[in-house]
Amino acid sequence: MEFRDVRKRFGSGAPVLDGFTLSVKSGETMALIGPSGSGKTTALRLVNRLIAADAGEVRVEGRDVSSEEPVGLRRRIGYVIQEGGLLPHWDVERNVTIVPRLLGWPPERRRARAEELLAMVNLPFREFAPRRPRELSGGQRQRVGVARALAADPPLVLMDEPFGALDPIARRALQQEFLSWKRQLGKAVLFVTHDIPEAFRLADRVAVLRAGKVIQVGSPREIADSPADDFVRELARP
Amino acid sequence: MSGIASYFWERRSEIAAHTGEHLVLVVLSTLAAVAIGIPLGVALTRRPRLARPVLGLAGIVQTIPSLALFGFLIPLPFLGGIGPRTAIVALILYALLPILRNTYSGIRSVDPAVVESAVGLGMTARQRLWWVEVPLSLPVVLGGVRIAIVVSIGIATIAAAVGAGGLGVLIYRGIATVDNRLILAGAVPAALLAVLCDGLLGWAERRWSGIAR
Repeated sequence: MEFRDVRKRFGSGAPVLDGFTLSVKSGETMALIGPSGSGKTTALRLVNRLIAADAGEVRVEGRDVSSEEPVGLRRRIGYVIQEGGLLPHWDVERNVTIVPRLLGWPPERRRARAEELLAMVNLPFREFAPRRPRELSGGQRQRVGVARALAADPPLVLMDEPFGALDPIARRALQQEFLSWKRQLGKAVLFVTHDIPEAFRLADRVAVLRAGKVIQVGSPREIADSPADDFVRELARP
Repeated sequence: MSGIASYFWERRSEIAAHTGEHLVLVVLSTLAAVAIGIPLGVALTRRPRLARPVLGLAGIVQTIPSLALFGFLIPLPFLGGIGPRTAIVALILYALLPILRNTYSGIRSVDPAVVESAVGLGMTARQRLWWVEVPLSLPVVLGGVRIAIVVSIGIATIAAAVGAGGLGVLIYRGIATVDNRLILAGAVPAALLAVLCDGLLGWAERRWSGIAR
């Protein structure tokens, strides 16, 4: 997927994104980092058309998202937000299979998929499938959120501060698991985080944002070894 | 005290008939107010700019003294006149505000993160409403219906003034003949109805909020 010279402003303020250009290759994990207000979350929400760009293009699998029907587009893109955003009145199994349900999969296929997904995120199906989100810990909710995003096997997954609400231990554990999912699944992932060590640990490439522009893109090593300017140097300092 | 009880017993068929009329007024008007208020409340959440004027208008109607509102309606064609129709129209107007307001604020109070993820995963506007917003706001909406019913049961006693029947008939007659027992024969069943409906809907509300949390 890629952003081409995207511009977005809300109301009459300064643009949140301006001349924003970035591409994510298939199978690649890209982290967006930068100070708050630098446009990270806005960029993410442009991809699944929760908001629309004022100018420029956002392309997913080679097609301009503005020419696509938003509901269908979203069902082909995984989406994880902080705390999981689980539906509190549905049990874990139903939450995990929302997208398959939207796509009209038959019940047996949904059940089989829920079993696979929960096994992948290390939540034993028999124990966890009937639970409500409020009966889970923060880390377990987040796992369900990740499983839900992967349910219909989308080629691209968007994650907005996916591990942001967790305590350091749970966060560390989930990061480890993320790395193993990444190896197994080979999906393109675009994720936003304010935690720089997390970005460096999880991402293949990191994009540093400031005031709505990408200042530098590169592997964690490139960013750490040859920062583009003082701002990046300061940000990437261990 | 036993005097009152035997008085009620003697008049049981009359009390039952007026209670029946009373219930018809309350049930019909509440159903209509639900049918108007809930869709309108949902529509307001989609156009928040209209919410303030519409809720304000419903609030103003609420401030009109009920006896005066019944009076205003009598001369109107189609809506007014003498009889239950006028009473039902007035009761709908009173019931509208709590239902409208609770529907609006109930849907607005659904966790935005939950709505965002539902939309982000590809729910249509209709799925978002029926699968997410309606179930999660139901306790608040039911709270509005409960308030509307309790208020309507009280106001419906005044409907007798426009010839709509109901328990108010006994109360008015009791006032006219300075007969406290007759007043109580209207007031006590009305109060019991209100308490009963309040308890029933409160129970439903609590039950559902357990499910929705």
